[in-house]
Amino acid sequence: MKRFLLLLRSIRRTQGEGPESERTSGERRVMTDGGTSEKRSTFQRWLDSDIVQSAPFWLPPFLLMGFFVYAAIGWNFLLSLTEYSGFGDPDYSNLGLQNYWAMLDDPGMWAATRNTFVLLVGFTVVCLIVGLLLALLLDREIRFSRSFRTIYLLPFALSFIVTAQFWRWMYNVNNGIINQFIGVFGLGPYSWLGSPKLVLGAVIFALVWQFSGYTMIIYLAALRSIPNDQYEAARADGASTVRMYWRVIIPQLRPAMVSATVTLVLFALKAFDFLYATFDGYRPRRGADILATKMVRESFGRSEWAYGSSIALMLFVLSLGVITPYLYNQYKRGNL
Amino acid sequence: MAETQLDDVRKVFTETDGNEIVAVNDVSIDIEDGEFLVLVGPSGCGKSTTLRMIAGLETISDGDIRLDDRVINDVPAKDRDIAMVFQSYALYPHMTVRENMAFGLEESTDLSDDEIAARVEETAEMMGIDPLLDRKPEELSGGQQQRVALGRAIVREPAVFLMDEPLSNLDAKLRAQMRTELQQLQEQLETTTVYVTHDQTEAMTMGDRIAILNDGELQQVGTPLECYHEPANVFVADFIGEPAMNFFDVTRRDADGDGAVLVNETLEYTVSADISTAIGDRDDLVLGVRPEDISIERSEGDQRRADGHTVPASVTVVEPTGDENIVYLDLGADRSERIIATIDGMSQVEAGDRVVVHVPEDAVHVFDGETNEALHNRRVESNEPRVPNV
Repeated sequence: MKRFLLLLRSIRRTQGEGPESERTSGERRVMTDGGTSEKRSTFQRWLDSDIVQSAPFWLPPFLLMGFFVYAAIGWNFLLSLTEYSGFGDPDYSNLGLQNYWAMLDDPGMWAATRNTFVLLVGFTVVCLIVGLLLALLLDREIRFSRSFRTIYLLPFALSFIVTAQFWRWMYNVNNGIINQFIGVFGLGPYSWLGSPKLVLGAVIFALVWQFSGYTMIIYLAALRSIPNDQYEAARADGASTVRMYWRVIIPQLRPAMVSATVTLVLFALKAFDFLYATFDGYRPRRGADILATKMVRESFGRSEWAYGSSIALMLFVLSLGVITPYLYNQYKRGNL
Repeated sequence: MAETQLDDVRKVFTETDGNEIVAVNDVSIDIEDGEFLVLVGPSGCGKSTTLRMIAGLETISDGDIRLDDRVINDVPAKDRDIAMVFQSYALYPHMTVRENMAFGLEESTDLSDDEIAARVEETAEMMGIDPLLDRKPEELSGGQQQRVALGRAIVREPAVFLMDEPLSNLDAKLRAQMRTELQQLQEQLETTTVYVTHDQTEAMTMGDRIAILNDGELQQVGTPLECYHEPANVFVADFIGEPAMNFFDVTRRDADGDGAVLVNETLEYTVSADISTAIGDRDDLVLGVRPEDISIERSEGDQRRADGHTVPASVTVVEPTGDENIVYLDLGADRSERIIATIDGMSQVEAGDRVVVHVPEDAVHVFDGETNEALHNRRVESNEPRVPNV
């Protein structure tokens, strides 16, 4: 506290505010000019440095973030090394990697990892493609493009709880609209959310429906920033419409594609809430279990706290794996 | 290489509220094979729209555009065998210079990769951009980008080059240099070129012929010197030449013999029989004279020469450019009329001087005040045309 006051005083001094500080700074100058001034100590210089001077602004959020985010991650890692389960307190005296070895032997773990990757890749790729096609169509100045834009973006504005409920009704085996519709063509009915073969695809489809509007908006923003000359130059160069988009326009959407991909992948890694709402809990049908649901189930369903923590850490490492290349890329381009 | 004809070409834009705007109004120009034609006019005159219609980037509301007698109104841009250079250069930012230049050949021809590569190298060497081939556009200076944009058009060896103000993003010195270079290049390639600019200096110095447009209407097509010395109307006379021609609204009064006197409040200008005949019985007239045709003589007080071609004036501003002085003068006792004269850079004139302005009769233009059409143009010695001062 004392140091903080000192700091405030030094800030006031550098700002030259108030009659008192004016006098002191005046005195100091006289002394330096006279050649008899005291030498400023290292400590004094440290107090006057930018990082200390600006500490009142960055330090509080730094401490809060550090404690609630990074310390929590650290504690989570510590927990994953224990054998903490059931009631009681964790025992930190005997740490080891046994939970991570157990993961290797857990077939449920492998299934959840596989499903996570299928969801991640399938959802991201399909979303990017559908969003791109929608954006390209809307960018061609069609009629009512504003209305279409709103319509396509609307699902993204809805809560997962709401959209999950929609899709549960639509996927219903007996009277869901999807089975009714394909029934017209003599197909089905299929148990979309019940069959282990179909459930992951059905979930991905619903998520794509909700998220492609978002990708579309990101692409549209990038498309709008491409000058008209680029289209005309490509046409004058003899390119057909398809070739023009393929070779000139879409390559210029790369930065938009990268940032959309990062957002989508990070979402897919923790698509917990959607599954929770779809299956009314963290026990998805076989075939749709992902790491996030398994983590919650192990921890809060079975009270295997340490095992749950180690799954959480796996998810964390996977997320880092996605975001690190992106951050590195941004850093290299000087955007960070 | 091809002959290009515009035949009563018209472009009408319809606004959302149903208003129709005529951007190009029945323009007809025959562009000869290998010709360098400059479309010039103030902004919004329809010159870019005309170019874009030739390129196929804009539909044609009415009329025909023909390339070697083939009507190409409905031929899509990619099949027209044209290459275009844009004001913004429109280089593809994600491709290297080499890829930029190869793109047009890859899309519009069946050449093999080796042939394309060879042509790109050859053209790059000719344009002096071969060291830049593996760079991206963002790594190039404005001048280099401009060169690449030109190279990208040239490598296609098209029937027609279309250029939309390609030099206007360069600084003044580089622009002058590229102007010369472009002209040499076009002469060497002998490719028909349509060049759009708002800069009359570019138009005068580069074009084999220039076409002057205003408000979507073609004002005049002719060689630069024709347009300079024999402008078809007040607009052309005013637009071509820098500083612009001086104009006086005058009325006609009969004089002794066959001549006439053109008068307004500050001016009484005697003209001889042939000008008088050209005027006929029109009364509302515009007298025009180019700044460099005006001579300034020192004077004491208000004296006039007997030929009726002088008027007293006072100097208000002198702008020395080195080789010449641009002199702003107020005419008459009440200083109601302002004119500009360019005189030799060595002559000593200062603001505030009282002078006499002499306007030789063989240098004046007379226009109809109602239609703005030229009635009489200055005399030009046909075998030895004056070099215009632009």
